Amino acid sequence: MKALTEADMTAYLAARFPDWRDVRIDGLHRLPLGASRETYRFDLSYSDGDGAHSDRLILRRDPPVSNVDSDRNHEYSAYRAIHGHGIPVPRMILLEEDPGPMGGAISIAEDLRGYHNSEYQLQQPAWRDKLPHIAAQMWGAMGRLAAVPVENLDLEFMVPATREGTAMQELDFWEATLDKNDVGPEPITRAAIRWLRRNPPPPAQKLAMVHGDFRAGNFLYDDSGTLIAVLDWEMAHRGDPLEDLAWSLARVFSFGKDDRRSGIAPREEAIRIWEAASGLTADPAALHWWELLNCVKGQGIWNSCAQAWTTTSGEREVIHAYAAWWLRNAQDRAILELMGHL
Amino acid sequence: MKPSIPAAATDLAERLRAEIVPELTGFRANNVAMGSAMIDMIAEEFDRAAARLFEENEAVRALLRRGGLAADAPTKPDLRVSALEAENDRLRAALIDLQAALETRDDDDARALDADVWRELTRSVERRRIASANF
Repeated sequence: MKALTEADMTAYLAARFPDWRDVRIDGLHRLPLGASRETYRFDLSYSDGDGAHSDRLILRRDPPVSNVDSDRNHEYSAYRAIHGHGIPVPRMILLEEDPGPMGGAISIAEDLRGYHNSEYQLQQPAWRDKLPHIAAQMWGAMGRLAAVPVENLDLEFMVPATREGTAMQELDFWEATLDKNDVGPEPITRAAIRWLRRNPPPPAQKLAMVHGDFRAGNFLYDDSGTLIAVLDWEMAHRGDPLEDLAWSLARVFSFGKDDRRSGIAPREEAIRIWEAASGLTADPAALHWWELLNCVKGQGIWNSCAQAWTTTSGEREVIHAYAAWWLRNAQDRAILELMGHL
Repeated sequence: MKPSIPAAATDLAERLRAEIVPELTGFRANNVAMGSAMIDMIAEEFDRAAARLFEENEAVRALLRRGGLAADAPTKPDLRVSALEAENDRLRAALIDLQAALETRDDDDARALDADVWRELTRSVERRRIASANF
């Protein structure tokens, strides 16, 4: 895939905004964020009829082959849908769906600079005392997202869902993802899928906008541990809000390699914070179903990483091979635990 | 090979982390850090891969035979990891079919065999564990 250059960016923006003069791009560089999209940071300056402007911006570009079945329009629209509804997110600025000009569809957003997003940093001793505050921030924001009335959001770009059907809809999607990205027989994951079909959960308490990847590493926080913005909405969808809670409890995201979920808080504490913020109940049996579903989802994503690395015609992403090697067996182990075989 | 591949690979991974990653920033530093972690995984897997695949293939064949499925071992085993992995894939695909069939039955023999399948799957996950994994 063609590397982004400051000259390409300048030419594109000058053509897209003919009223702009003296368009200048500085400091364009790629950030080590995520496995599914390319993320770049840059400074923009230009002049127009209102005077001189300068902005700090983030650009996300769709690659030719990704481990996540999403696109620029979906994530851009998801950010716009939740913006202003009590969940802090960066402001979206531009969407270019034509892959021609920049070698792939792009979106541009405000860059909230000077904050942290590292999930590993939180494991350092200096952050240990701040973890309870970070837990309250993370699962509090997740609970508030669950509480947002879904009918108040413009989610027309998303696949429709119902309280009764969302569970099997998600299971169907992730089983199909596994089928499409088959990298070898998965007896443990396939057994989990059969169990999930035999033991469907109750209907969702409500439909919500589900983030789809809400965990440590996907939000910005300041030096005190206060959450600044929730990032990475490319898998957002209508669904059961328990899905987000369950994803955040996943063993594979226990970055402290202990019982703290997301490397931040014990499972019971995370659930307590989420329930208080959402006003919902995390029924243990339903939550267990969604935790196991999320293991299937995780395996679908890690297998998609392996498939993307194997099949891409462009430059391979190290993170695709790394994620598949590092996570596939751990995901199987998490399934064994949830199914009572560990 | 001398020095041993796991020892040399582990040393190389540590050198990358200690000497190269600090010289880089952002995306490149992250790529090299992930590369060094992958070399650690190669070191871990190199010595055990053939043994664990051979052991697992034997165990799964025994389960398939108990389930009435043909699962003869090759008369002249090919111990290259690629060949053992191909055989492992074939056997694990058959194991999925066996387990799905067992779940439709309601008798003691089926339950006992299904329990043994799960025990072997648990052992296989423990054999494959990566030291750096979160779980």
